[in-house]
Amino acid sequence: MSVKVEVGAGGIPHNQILIYGLVGSLVLIYLTYLNTITNTQYFSFFGGLAAVAALIWGTDTIKHLCSYGLGTGVPSAGMIALGSGVVAAIFGATTGIFAPIVTIIVAAIIGAVAGLMANHVVRMDIPVMIVSLIELAIVGAMTVLGLTAMACGTFEFLGMITGTVEFLGFTVQTYETSVIGGSIVAVIFMLGAIAIQHSFNACLGPGEKQDRTLMLAAECGFLSMITVAIISFAFIGFLPALVALLISIIGWIYTYVKYIELSKRDAYAWLDAKPILEPKGGA
Amino acid sequence: MEEIVFGIGITALAGALATVAGAAEDTESDIGSQGDPNSQVQLAPQMGYIHRIFNKAVAGEPPAYGLWVALGAGLAWAFMAMQINPILAIVLGSALAVFVQGVYATTAYLGRTASLAKFGQPVYIDILKSMTTVTMAHAFVAIFTTVAMCHLMIGALGHPFPLPLLGLVWGIALGAAGSATGNPFYGKERQYQEQKFGAGVPISASGNIVRYAEAGQRNSLDNGFFSAKLGGPASGICFGLIVFFELWRTVVFEELSIWGPIIVGIVVILVFAIIDRYIEVWARKNFGPYTAPEEAST
Amino acid sequence: MSALGGPAQTGGVQPPTTMGLALSIVLIIVALALAFFLVQTAGLIALVGIIVGGVLIAFGVHFVPVGGAPAAMGQAPGIATGVAMLAAGAGLAGLFGGAWAAPFGFAVALAGGAVGGGLLMAITCTMVNVIYVFGMGIPAASGKVAKDPITGDTFPEYKSQGTEGHGLPFISWVGGVIGGALGGLGGTLIYLELLDIYQTQLPVILNATVEQIASVAISLAGIFAVGMFLMNAVLAAYNITGTIEGPHDPKFKRFPRAVIAAATASAVAGIFAIALLELVGVF
Repeated sequence: MSVKVEVGAGGIPHNQILIYGLVGSLVLIYLTYLNTITNTQYFSFFGGLAAVAALIWGTDTIKHLCSYGLGTGVPSAGMIALGSGVVAAIFGATTGIFAPIVTIIVAAIIGAVAGLMANHVVRMDIPVMIVSLIELAIVGAMTVLGLTAMACGTFEFLGMITGTVEFLGFTVQTYETSVIGGSIVAVIFMLGAIAIQHSFNACLGPGEKQDRTLMLAAECGFLSMITVAIISFAFIGFLPALVALLISIIGWIYTYVKYIELSKRDAYAWLDAKPILEPKGGA
Repeated sequence: MEEIVFGIGITALAGALATVAGAAEDTESDIGSQGDPNSQVQLAPQMGYIHRIFNKAVAGEPPAYGLWVALGAGLAWAFMAMQINPILAIVLGSALAVFVQGVYATTAYLGRTASLAKFGQPVYIDILKSMTTVTMAHAFVAIFTTVAMCHLMIGALGHPFPLPLLGLVWGIALGAAGSATGNPFYGKERQYQEQKFGAGVPISASGNIVRYAEAGQRNSLDNGFFSAKLGGPASGICFGLIVFFELWRTVVFEELSIWGPIIVGIVVILVFAIIDRYIEVWARKNFGPYTAPEEAST
Repeated sequence: MSALGGPAQTGGVQPPTTMGLALSIVLIIVALALAFFLVQTAGLIALVGIIVGGVLIAFGVHFVPVGGAPAAMGQAPGIATGVAMLAAGAGLAGLFGGAWAAPFGFAVALAGGAVGGGLLMAITCTMVNVIYVFGMGIPAASGKVAKDPITGDTFPEYKSQGTEGHGLPFISWVGGVIGGALGGLGGTLIYLELLDIYQTQLPVILNATVEQIASVAISLAGIFAVGMFLMNAVLAAYNITGTIEGPHDPKFKRFPRAVIAAATASAVAGIFAIALLELVGVF
């Protein structure tokens, strides 16, 4: 609690990231609709990519919000983001083809109320609070919707609550083995809640650099995608799930290696099995 | 009657699994300096104390364990839906969740340490190689036991929640119990071993953590070795008691009356109130009073 | 939790702004009207339950004695973890008990939830004291008051030099149990109200039996209860700004702000959760 939050300056302006994140995640999530049009499941992975785009944007938002010092941990911002986001995402999902747009609108409403409450009733009086909580709620909602769409191949509510079970050679429809019926959405909730806050929480300090933090955000997104891809074997066909898994693994390896390189660039020294370097003049 | 005996057996098994989970969880987080003691590991280089302690700030323990356990449970659920044997499914699910935990741990260490470049704290890459695997092993024990416990609650005791949701609930509770019980022991007694025993760390000493061991330089494995002696087992007992009493009061007393579990729960709370008060009075009798210090701020 | 800068120290408690208060009242009334319009009396009752649940959670968080990082060093009294997450641990353990007892009726389930949350905090707080006393040799001493309001113990002579107090006094223990019980009660209340709505509506929409949709209803109610719990707990944590010792702490007097904020945020998130199934099949 006694460490100052300091963030690096410079880099891509926040508004630019906001637009890329919002439009990118919206477009990518709509690409999963190709599943319905072409009647396949091969396009499910676009949902995960939408979550990655949203998470990169959310990381930058958290950085702006938390540089004010909330008095409680960075992770709490991720919790409130996903807490409001999950309601918005599942509500939005019930509106069929309009799901992603309705999700954004509903998330913005819930986020705005939370932000107004935080600033005007709880009196945080943080200038970026309202905007940040709106953004975070949208990010949380898009992450949930994207990863859910990746797991079951559609962003529509009825697809989320129905699944199939092979029983003695017959395929039976059931509500229990579905993304919502099996509470996989709880896993997605936590994946998003940790991924959204981890990058900034892990990189905070005076040497924080935007490109490294955002690379880590992408890494967290792809890592979450890997696990969702494995879960999706239970809901979508073997080959579509395999495609999603391969894309996630490739994306993860690329971003992880890149992140390590960036850390190496920013580190004071990169040592292997060396003793403590006492600063000159002694501690 | 047989049903109750069966239920008590499951309750005891779940309590035992929870005890193991709590002990492993606290030891894991102390090796990684996760949770509140992390702030001191983070602060030390800024005060000029360069160290070789693993700095794994993923999140507070409750959210982090909420994810690891929910993820392990979700993957196990998915494997079971693919008709894989439950035990194998839980092992596979926990193993994959541990993989995610390990990746998060490495990125957290690299990120925090690289951002401290201004203070001359280098990245010791051998820390990652040797510590991450140890935390992963402990995390596997914690995740596997908790997911297995949740599976028992559903399969044998008939709790309505699906496995992943139950994993989320108990994962957060595990992290809360482990961090509450284990953190002070690691934070005060280990990081600030050189400070006086039986007193809080003076605020002026903040950041001056112990960095040298009996021989050579202290690393986080020494810390795991230390907290496995008291902090870990105490966290295990804490979480084990929570799970045991939570199940026991329902399984045994629900038959008598639907209000039975609630009355027993209140009685258990009162018993713990007496225990707590006894401990507090014991401490006041034996440890104090200290000479009145200069008037502290109120 | 994580390393963060201290909160802005403001003198006294700033009351909510007029705009914030007016907005809260308007939003709650609009949400209640919408609930009545969409789901009739059942919706109205459910939304009132959700608002009460949210208020109980936010109020309960203020009781939980949390010292954050300084507590882990024995520099400040309380439990060494984050306030929102400790409350969440207790509240969700309560939700576990409440959901289990749900078939036995409303009152039993609520009481089960409250006792479950209180039990977790009772055991945790006792074990915290075991560690403080037998592991670290530290007696309890509050930094905010000179005398324990319940036991009458005096603290200044037990405080070690250079700290703000340490350990977990009995008043904090009691506060923790009350906080856990209120959290468990609130979380269970939200869960039961939503479960009731979904169990009535889902069978009609999907043309299925209550047993068939049980897992979907439980999962939806469960994840929304978790989401709203975290949202309210974080708003309360923002109100506390970091650490609190329990009901005797001067910061405790801030609770009306969090109660208003939580009521409004719960009303807005709750209306979307209640109206979730209204749009299924429309698009």
